[in-house]
Amino acid sequence: MGKGRYLIKRFVYIVFVFFIISILMFAIYKAMPGDPVVMMLGDIQSSMKPDAYQALYEQTKEMLGLNQNVVVQYFVWIGNMLTGDFGFSTQYKREVIQIIGAPMTNTIMLNLFAMVVVFLISIPLGIATAVRKNGVFDKAVQVLTIVGYSIPAFIIALLAIFAFAVKIPIFPISGLKTAGSNAAGLQEALDMLWHMTLPVLVMSVSGIGGITRYVRAAMIDVLRMDYIKTARAKGLREKTVIYIHAFRNALIPIVTITTWWIIGLFGGSIVIESVFLIPGLGKMLIDSLMQRDFSVVLTMQMFYVVLSLCGNVLMDIAYTVVDPRVRLEN
Amino acid sequence: MSNENRNVLLEVRDLKQYFPVKKTKLREEQRYVRANDGITLDIYEGETLGLVGESGCGKSTFGRTLLQLYPQTHGEVIYHKDGREIDLKSLPKEEMRVLRKDLQLIFQDPYSSLNPRMTVGQIIGEGLTSHGIYKRGDPAMRDYIFEVMENCGLATYMFGRYPHQFSGGQRQRIGIARSLALRPRFVVCDEAVSALDVSIQSQILNLLSDLKEKQKLTYLFITHDLSVVKYISDRIGVMYLGNMVELAPTEELFENTKHPYTEALLSAIPVVDEEDKRERILLEGDIPSPVNPPKGCKFHTRCRYCQKKCTEEVPEWINIGNNHYVACHFPLNGEKG
Repeated sequence: MGKGRYLIKRFVYIVFVFFIISILMFAIYKAMPGDPVVMMLGDIQSSMKPDAYQALYEQTKEMLGLNQNVVVQYFVWIGNMLTGDFGFSTQYKREVIQIIGAPMTNTIMLNLFAMVVVFLISIPLGIATAVRKNGVFDKAVQVLTIVGYSIPAFIIALLAIFAFAVKIPIFPISGLKTAGSNAAGLQEALDMLWHMTLPVLVMSVSGIGGITRYVRAAMIDVLRMDYIKTARAKGLREKTVIYIHAFRNALIPIVTITTWWIIGLFGGSIVIESVFLIPGLGKMLIDSLMQRDFSVVLTMQMFYVVLSLCGNVLMDIAYTVVDPRVRLEN
Repeated sequence: MSNENRNVLLEVRDLKQYFPVKKTKLREEQRYVRANDGITLDIYEGETLGLVGESGCGKSTFGRTLLQLYPQTHGEVIYHKDGREIDLKSLPKEEMRVLRKDLQLIFQDPYSSLNPRMTVGQIIGEGLTSHGIYKRGDPAMRDYIFEVMENCGLATYMFGRYPHQFSGGQRQRIGIARSLALRPRFVVCDEAVSALDVSIQSQILNLLSDLKEKQKLTYLFITHDLSVVKYISDRIGVMYLGNMVELAPTEELFENTKHPYTEALLSAIPVVDEEDKRERILLEGDIPSPVNPPKGCKFHTRCRYCQKKCTEEVPEWINIGNNHYVACHFPLNGEKG
């Protein structure tokens, strides 16, 4: 039926876009200044004879496959990529796949927590402010959300550190583990949660600001509609009118904005991870860029590409769930 | 038609509904749109009361305020039920919610008044479960909804479909089925047929009349279409700028028009027969602003019989016999020629 064919079409489209972006990415990184081989060999140059160094240089270049034609390099790279071989990290001197797991887990954990916090707070808050539109409560929340939305994350991070780690030292400010602790199981998980509190708090602030405003705007639009009056005229309870009739209709814009926000979260946490010294994807991306560690950078870039493309399809599917008028066709 | 021996269903006393106008300056005095500016009338059980007037004269507001969909500014709406007199304004929200079962509304716009996210079955059934007529998921409810749908001229296969899959006429029937499923006593039909084309209009009007006979309904029929209102109403009320200017049984209103505004309105009905042709009275100027209505009789700015008294004194709402009410200092006399 329409749905199956549509999804196949979308899949073909994704593959197509994926390859085009991969070519662009690869070209951009090749065009970047800096020699990854020199970066990888590092300080050895000063302690070796020039011709021995040259031999080692050539050998390393050969191993990394950098002495081939750029086009061949691309095909080798994309072929490896698709078979799950993400290349060799010149910085860590290990396979990318081995070093990328732990940071990815950390980043995803962090983002999931932030997401849950943001949704739990911003959706009810957005609804409540829309219902009490222009009241004192609404106006107060409006001011707070615009403040939260407009202050950059690193400033909020510094403020949070000042408040909860310096003035009232109840939370740690860096890492995800207490140094030297060898707790396991539940103890370890609790320790991690404790470390994550501040970063999650900071990440949530701007998310809450933005999403609350979107939910409020979408709800106000819907609450003006005639069918809300119909629902009231039916004699439904006010809760049913707001949560079932209004909120379900407000979901479409909310789905759009939250999808993009979720995709953005994975990239946006670079700042937070750097401030709180969390070994996550963002920090890794920056470090690798500094070190010209292209395998790692490209792998992560492609991760973001896949994330965005899949996010788009998921958004389309979510639309059909949310709104019966939307059909997946062409 | 005499109304004295009929039971009053709703008593409206000096009903006012003002909407605040948004201030443009900080220290400006708060001004109001006077959508309903003191309306008094009785609605009798089993009648169809037509309500006509230009757009923006407060007809729809009156219907909605009656049902307490807007918090009324002033006045009383007294609902007679089982010998009790209930002032709707003073009711707590939850009790009003329960009473909504009796007092229903059919909306003007069949496109925007149905929740796009719900199937026809859900739209009709929701009111039933929320008033405890049926339990959620009761198989008998489905049968009942089918019955209501059939009564309203909807095929039962439409049960699981969404509103956007229907035409305007079908949607209007869904709206009617939705309100009548609750077995109300009183229904406000707010321009219920205005959005439809003429052939569908007459179908819906006939449907409404049939259902009225079957279920002993009382209608408040709001429209700007005089031929529709003449066809369906027992009594007709004419509104101008938030006030009722004339109210009379249909025959009486057409034959013995008392208010100059009504006269002008009636003269605008197109006639087919050349012999029936009467002088067309054109109302000059626009309808004045309801924020700042004219002093005295609100109609004086456009009335061709206007005299000095009209600009100074507000005319009283008086019964001139035959259940004929009018608010005019100088009611027209004599039969129309």
